[in-house]
Amino acid sequence: MLQKIYLIIFCFILFPFEGFALEPAEKLLMERNSLYQYIAVTEDTSKHKRYLRNNKKGLIQGVISLDAPGKLLFEYTQTSFVSLAFLQMNPTDVLFAGLGIGAMPGYMNRYYPEANIDVVEIDTDIIQVAKEYFYFKENKNLMVHPGDARQFIKRSKKKYDIIFLDAYQSDYIPFHLTTVEFLREVKNILEDNGVVVSNILSPNRNKFFDSMIMTYKKVFPYLYIFKGKTAGNFVFVVTKSSDLKDKDGIETIAKKIQSLKKFDFDLPETVSRFEHSMAYEWSGADILTDDFAPVNLYKYQDSEAK
Amino acid sequence: MIYFIVFICGAVVMSFEILGSRILAPNFGNSVFVWGSLISIFLTGLSAGYYLGGRIADIRPSSRKLGLIIIAPGVLLLTFPLYSGPVSDWIFMKDIGVRSSPLLASAILFLVPSVFLGIVSPYTAKLMICSLHTSGKTIGTLYALSTFGSIIGTLVTSFYLITVAGVSFLIMGQGILLIVLAMPLLFMNLRCNINNTE
Repeated sequence: MLQKIYLIIFCFILFPFEGFALEPAEKLLMERNSLYQYIAVTEDTSKHKRYLRNNKKGLIQGVISLDAPGKLLFEYTQTSFVSLAFLQMNPTDVLFAGLGIGAMPGYMNRYYPEANIDVVEIDTDIIQVAKEYFYFKENKNLMVHPGDARQFIKRSKKKYDIIFLDAYQSDYIPFHLTTVEFLREVKNILEDNGVVVSNILSPNRNKFFDSMIMTYKKVFPYLYIFKGKTAGNFVFVVTKSSDLKDKDGIETIAKKIQSLKKFDFDLPETVSRFEHSMAYEWSGADILTDDFAPVNLYKYQDSEAK
Repeated sequence: MIYFIVFICGAVVMSFEILGSRILAPNFGNSVFVWGSLISIFLTGLSAGYYLGGRIADIRPSSRKLGLIIIAPGVLLLTFPLYSGPVSDWIFMKDIGVRSSPLLASAILFLVPSVFLGIVSPYTAKLMICSLHTSGKTIGTLYALSTFGSIIGTLVTSFYLITVAGVSFLIMGQGILLIVLAMPLLFMNLRCNINNTE
């Protein structure tokens, strides 16, 4: 018996917990446990890319190319900028809930330097990592506020033209940032012509996705959906105003913005994935509330909408 | 009967704690500070309850009194949705800090019920001990049942209940459960008489 135990201990010494199943060319630059999560930065020396991870395996939270650190590599980060085409004019006040590596706020700041951008990020270690490893910089028009997104939004006296909701805990959205009550608070700080953009991760359409659709629909008059080319990436766009946008109108504006701003990705092409939410709505889905929001479970349950 | 009550009280404590995190999240987030506040307040309540319960148990213990001790948190839980919202909103408005806010909210919302639930353990021990020869066994069984209840309460709530019903409904349900369970105690005399022969 004792021998067996020794053998097991011996095995553990020989094969210590494998931290990463890294690609041979990928090396670990840093890892840390913050108050909120596990953070690791890795670098692929052959692809010249740097990654932020919250999980020992799989899911990447953010990525930059070392050759072009300003570029938006994730599809949803590009897609999120379709929100610009829903506005009547250039955005003056922009809010990001969730910093990540700071790619989107940085991009926004570069193309709209005159816009006031607030970022709310709960994890101060993430802020530090974004600055240290992902070339994120604050300036007078781009400020990061450490804190909980919901508390920030509830307390905000300011109104915003665009609000980006991208606060993830590893692979799920904390439940208090998914509910009807929360979205109403978001709507309260949205300008009348403003737009809310949300990154909804839903590999195989799941119950969480269905519930998110109905919850957004409960609070906002119209919901537009941009489905990613890669599976499971959806960008939700909602407006406060009650005039229904159509694809042609949005595309026209997107082309105008593109010729003006010369983004390094094809904004009109992203807009072409415009869909109304009707096709996705399923009235059987539960609306998420502060009282009832089983987000962790719904992520693992397939949609019942057929 | 008493064993079952001890089990349920153990389950309710932890179930209430898990649900408490959902109550606090809209105003105070889901951070480690929130969890730290919650857990420390529940443990404070329990330890105060154990101490008080021991003292009270020495003063003419009866199952009727035990019933009242259980009905008190039952009523608090049943009416919980009436005051939990206003209390957390009020503390949110005061904004006394990322650590102090959830700690104060937890103290106001969860301390008193957990004190009462803490009283149950030593009080039932006093009622159940029939002989000093077997007192160890009795106390051990009660401890085990109470903690086993807590395990079940934690698992059932976080794995299942929270996915099928609303938080307010669940808390009120637990209130009703405690009250219903305690009612018969008011009309019973479950006390074991040692009558201090030694």
